[in-house]
Amino acid sequence: MRILVVEDDALLADGLIKVLTRAGHAVDHAATGRSADQLLVSEAFDLLVLDIGLPDIDGFEVLRRLRARRSATSVLVLTARDAVEDRVRGLDLGAEDYLTKPFSVTEFEARVRALLRRMVPPEARWSIAGLKVDIDAKRVKVNDKPVELTRREWTLLELFLTRPGRVLSKEQIAERLTGFDEQLSPNAIEVHVSRLRTKLEPAGLHIRTVRGFGYLWEGADE
Amino acid sequence: MSEGGRPPSIRRRLLLFLIGSLVLMLSGAALVTYLVAENAANNAYDRSLLDPVLDIADNVKVDAAGAHLDLPKKALDTLVFDQVDKVIFQIRSPQDTIIDGDVGMPAAPPSAAGETIFFDGTYGNEKIRVAALRTPGGFVIQVGETLHKRNRLVGEILFAELASTLVIGLGAIALAWLAVARGLMPLEDLRSELLSRAPRDLRPLTGTSAPIEIAPVISAFNGLLEHLRDANQMQQRFLANAAHQLRTPLAGLQMHLELLLRRDLPNDVRAESERMHGATVRASRLANQLLALAKAESSPDESRALEIVDLRAIAESAARDWSREAVRRRIDLGFSLERALILGDPLLLPELVDNLIDNALRYTPAGGTITVKTGCSAGIPYLSVEDTGPGIPVAERGRVFERFYRIAGTPGEGSGLGLAIVQEVVERHTGTVVIDAHDEVSGTRISVSFPPSDGTRADAARFTVPAAQY
Repeated sequence: MRILVVEDDALLADGLIKVLTRAGHAVDHAATGRSADQLLVSEAFDLLVLDIGLPDIDGFEVLRRLRARRSATSVLVLTARDAVEDRVRGLDLGAEDYLTKPFSVTEFEARVRALLRRMVPPEARWSIAGLKVDIDAKRVKVNDKPVELTRREWTLLELFLTRPGRVLSKEQIAERLTGFDEQLSPNAIEVHVSRLRTKLEPAGLHIRTVRGFGYLWEGADE
Repeated sequence: MSEGGRPPSIRRRLLLFLIGSLVLMLSGAALVTYLVAENAANNAYDRSLLDPVLDIADNVKVDAAGAHLDLPKKALDTLVFDQVDKVIFQIRSPQDTIIDGDVGMPAAPPSAAGETIFFDGTYGNEKIRVAALRTPGGFVIQVGETLHKRNRLVGEILFAELASTLVIGLGAIALAWLAVARGLMPLEDLRSELLSRAPRDLRPLTGTSAPIEIAPVISAFNGLLEHLRDANQMQQRFLANAAHQLRTPLAGLQMHLELLLRRDLPNDVRAESERMHGATVRASRLANQLLALAKAESSPDESRALEIVDLRAIAESAARDWSREAVRRRIDLGFSLERALILGDPLLLPELVDNLIDNALRYTPAGGTITVKTGCSAGIPYLSVEDTGPGIPVAERGRVFERFYRIAGTPGEGSGLGLAIVQEVVERHTGTVVIDAHDEVSGTRISVSFPPSDGTRADAARFTVPAAQY
């Protein structure tokens, strides 16, 4: 994947570039808002890692211009400012996700992976720990053995893999699964999750219950 | 306040002055009344004292036996009789010898022939009033009487006068009391306005109805408030900027340390790097908390409008943010969330919840349980976080809200700012925060309750203050 890192702090930019390069991405770097904007006009990136506090035009403006050009590039906003305010503003302007500085490398990698996975064309195959997913064929393999998933379990799996943070509330799940059943009780959700959980355990993937709220996906990459 | 004594009081001073001068004036009036009454009594009774003098003078005869009173005993007794007072008489010759009557009577002061005079004297040890006449023949006839009925009359007049004076006086004191109280009412209003203020509310006093005597005080006070506000804002901007500026280099540092830790390192280098990483994470957290504190502290006039916020939504967002950390620490973080609408700052409330959960996670050992609850209890919206950690001793519960305060001997790397932030946010929402035990013996439950919101925008508008540019 092609990624543009926009960060004026040399130390942090260097770290970000290292992490992304090691993950096998082609990484470009811009230290100012203007140079980032020019790069984004002339070249296509899959992902933009965008700092908000830049010396000339700020990250919000870069983002606004990007979206004004109807670019489909995913954007991960980095902010050193107040998390909630920037989160709201960044997401309003069309960022896909945000991270508040400072953050752990693991967290950053997980967010980038989740974002890139979301843009992967449907025919792609995913592989996490012992799990292999073939979206096109709707086939799942655990430790190279095919596993049958019901439609609801399949939807649940997709939901977990595409949500940043991979924490799902029961309401969120109910919303997505209601298409199948007219009425979906919390108990029914529990049953579906529990079946998916049992099928994924051997792959080293765990779905944990967050008491009174929902579920959390715990994989090798988290 | 003066040392040892009571502080000066305007009310007391005014009342002392008013009542003191009233008492003086009324005493003066009483004295005048007494003199007037005495004069009136003398005028009334002197006339009747003169009658026997004239009768006796008519009956003084001079013949061969010399001068003598030619009046039968019975007639004389009638002349010098009174039901109340003792009446005495005396006749002196032109040669000043006592011809008849009482020898104990004082001599009359000199006077012209044919002139009647009245004077005060003593008889035995009693005061008497005497009427005296010097006849053309040079005889002095005087009749005196004791003062009982005069005194009684003076007493009656004085009593009547003083009674009404007393009524007027007491009325005046009561009025003075009321007037002082009314006059000081604007001060009382000012006091209650100041008392009802939130601790960090530095908005100017309104005082639109303040009288001109107090207006300068209010305007001087507002001047002071404005200075404080400026200083406060400057400090907060500085703190916020400093926290911002710290975050980026800390992020770079943390990232490189983590990349370093992924490499094969000799054990001692790994141990050192891990310690540096831990310190970096702590420094980052501290920067975040300072920023949160600065934000919570900013005075209300520069903050955004409060909105109707559901505590449940805030807690749900916290569930997403904290579940993974709880799993990592092997703590069962659970939620029991019901709707709880309040008028709140949607940017500050997450800080409150985050710090409560963070605090609980830090002090609850692995295997423990934390439960976040929201809802309404008896109409009061609340949010509580309870854990099965060691609990906070009763004696410490008041102090844990102090900045940088940490309970002695507790493990963990808390900054001591988390609960201070909670306290600030609670204050900003005029809520209350209570710490008690999770159950009878152990654990901690921190409950925050808020003024209920009826969920209408009209209610919100009442609390709306001009939003600053962010």
